[in-house]
Amino acid sequence: MSLLEPALDPVPAAAPARPLTPQREALLRALDARTPGHSLPAPLYTDPDLHQAELELLWQRQWVFVGTSAEVPEPGDYVTLDIGRASVMVLRDDDEQVRAFHNVCRHRGARLVTEDKGSVGNIVCGYHRWTYSTDGRLVHAPQLGPDIDPACLSLLSVHVREIEGLLFVCLAADPPDDVEDVARVIAPYFAPHHLGSAKVAAQIDLVEDGNWKLTMENNRECYHCDGHPDLLCTFFQTWGLAEHQVPDRMRASHERFLLADAELAQRCAAQGLPYPTISDLVDRPLGFRVERSPMDAAGESFSRDGTRLVQRTLGDVDGFRMGRLGLHAQPNLWLHVCADHAVTFAVFPVGVDKTLVRTTWLVDADAVEGVDYDVDALTEVWRHTNEEDAAFVALAQRGVSDPAYVPGPYTETEAQVDAFVSWYAARIREEIVR
Amino acid sequence: MTELRHDAWTDPGPTPGLRLVPDLPRAVGDGLLAPEAGLDQEMVLRRRVPVTHDVVTLVLEPTVPGTFAYAPGQFVTMVVDVDGVPVERCYTLSSPPTRPHLLTITVKRMEGGALSPYLHDRLRPGDRVSVRGPNGDFTVAAHPAARYLLLSAGSGVTPTLSTVRTMADLGELDDVVVVHSARTPADLACRGELDALAADHPGLRVVWVCEDDSPGSASWQGPRGRLTADLLAAQVPDVGDREVFTCGPPGYMTATRALLAEVGVDPLRCHEESFVLGESAAPAVPALPETGDAPVALTEVPAAVPGTATVTFGRSGREVVCAPGTTVLAAAQQAGVSLPSSCGGGLCGTCKSGLLAGKVEMSHQGGIRPREVAAGKFLPCCSTPDGDIVVDA
Repeated sequence: MSLLEPALDPVPAAAPARPLTPQREALLRALDARTPGHSLPAPLYTDPDLHQAELELLWQRQWVFVGTSAEVPEPGDYVTLDIGRASVMVLRDDDEQVRAFHNVCRHRGARLVTEDKGSVGNIVCGYHRWTYSTDGRLVHAPQLGPDIDPACLSLLSVHVREIEGLLFVCLAADPPDDVEDVARVIAPYFAPHHLGSAKVAAQIDLVEDGNWKLTMENNRECYHCDGHPDLLCTFFQTWGLAEHQVPDRMRASHERFLLADAELAQRCAAQGLPYPTISDLVDRPLGFRVERSPMDAAGESFSRDGTRLVQRTLGDVDGFRMGRLGLHAQPNLWLHVCADHAVTFAVFPVGVDKTLVRTTWLVDADAVEGVDYDVDALTEVWRHTNEEDAAFVALAQRGVSDPAYVPGPYTETEAQVDAFVSWYAARIREEIVR
Repeated sequence: MTELRHDAWTDPGPTPGLRLVPDLPRAVGDGLLAPEAGLDQEMVLRRRVPVTHDVVTLVLEPTVPGTFAYAPGQFVTMVVDVDGVPVERCYTLSSPPTRPHLLTITVKRMEGGALSPYLHDRLRPGDRVSVRGPNGDFTVAAHPAARYLLLSAGSGVTPTLSTVRTMADLGELDDVVVVHSARTPADLACRGELDALAADHPGLRVVWVCEDDSPGSASWQGPRGRLTADLLAAQVPDVGDREVFTCGPPGYMTATRALLAEVGVDPLRCHEESFVLGESAAPAVPALPETGDAPVALTEVPAAVPGTATVTFGRSGREVVCAPGTTVLAAAQQAGVSLPSSCGGGLCGTCKSGLLAGKVEMSHQGGIRPREVAAGKFLPCCSTPDGDIVVDA
């Protein structure tokens, strides 16, 4: 499929209802300076003030991927995520529902839980022992006066939406409602894989020395994939290319792709698995792309020879040669689901030039480590690929910080990068006038 | 603990030829045993003698030339270096003072205890410990009587061992009944020795009471269950004429105190080894009749009063007897063990602690997770002991 650059009106569609802060003014000016089809102007990658405005306008208003329900398998299990200065606690409550709260005590605001992940009985503030049940109600506040109603002091909840085991949160009071449309589209793709009942086999946090948008842009193209020798054992380098864009040097690989693609389409049809690529990257708040795609070599998994890395299938699929189910969602998710395991990537801005990439490998809940899979082998290809990508992102960050940086044109292999950047610009313009 | 007793006797008047002093019993070893002598020295483990599956006798020899003098039933304080930390515990001497060259203590292994696992698994012949003492007035020597009843449970048998051995050695086993309670026949310490002494001495009768059969062994034919007033009256019909010495876990002590009153024994004739903290009668250093880890094995004798339990705080080395319904947090406060807490109702988890031995009844409100319970944690604020327990605090 080809993606056309949407014609962006460089002037906001509506005048802002109130005067903009200097940071937001500067953010708009930087966006206005962007040439369509080109990378972003430097301040959008390097200016801490613009980064702060971005956190407020985008990260605190969009649906953000925070992980999978496998990361909070039992009541009381939680993970915390920093979205800008906001810490969000995502936990499974006593009724097995996943909830999300602001990680801030209603007493005098102390941080409630300080670990990245863990398990609690009730949620207890370490400062004065104010205690909240897992549904957020204040259940214990020593010596709270009789004129204070504890019912008014529940934890501040954060919107959370689970789609087939994938967890999204939104810090806005009124989140974009298109999450329901996206859920309707992607749920049939994910349902057979049972991510909701998988278990975490491994999780690795990597902090990249670059702006979060460079991390996402880098993931949206395979133009640089020669730098990923391990990944290319199974990942078709022609990913994202239209037929006429395939260079001669990739012709043989592309022939294998076409054959494998036809086979996989048939296998999916036989199993009732949806196959068409659906891409809606620019015009909706939760821009996304879902696709099924064959893999090279044995076609089963992200190993060097393409053979399975886990001896049990994950979910309800027939056989291991299922290629991969891919999902990309903006601002911060990409993932792959093979027949034997899934690997998810969640991206969080740590600073204007620091980005956390959290990679999580999921396997069937009954798979036994050391018997059905080996953690080192399971994680090897993406560990290497992530490190290679981190190096590329750091190169890009250093370059765009150079006074000589002039935004350059995206090639035709980078249509999805352009789509991401266009999505970003559209969201900022939308939110700035709300 | 010593009290004056005035035996009722009629003043016969100044009749020539009649003695004015009644023929009172003489104290055990009177005129034979050396008076108690202070002891404070390093001693060397000479030998380990296995007693039961979880009891061992440690034979200690002096490093200072000389012999030991003490009264049967007294205890010593032992200090052992455990991984660089000095651990101090009191042990009743199981040896008799009639064999003055060596000391023995008889120790029950208690999982999670600060010292007994070390003594069982790691202390080797040749190793040194510090010993000082003797202390305590829980001794027949302080209470001359014509007839004795020695009641014990679990490793409360240790003063009985010293006492019976002393009397046998001195030829003074005149009228002594031993009633010892244990969980199973396999837990009866020194059964062979006491039975043999009883066979050789008409003045000694030994009654063994077992709660259950030993796993995989023949059924116990002796008295079964807990010590009751009926059982005691049946086994020792003249109990009211005896000087009674009771030693065992606090639950057993409480129950025995009640049943002795029930069968009509004069409280002034009842003597106890007391080691409950907070009681005015307690010695400054709690004298534990077997190990400092716990007065007796926690599984040894169920509390005879329903709900009564001993709560031992392993790290603090303190313990307390709980009335039924007492929370472990309240027990900690009674024992002077400071546990952090806030809600008192199982909500906040502030008091979360490890349970090293025994069982509790817990009714929490979300302050702890099943996974944590499975890992041996519990909330003292909303838990009551179900039998004796040891808390990691």
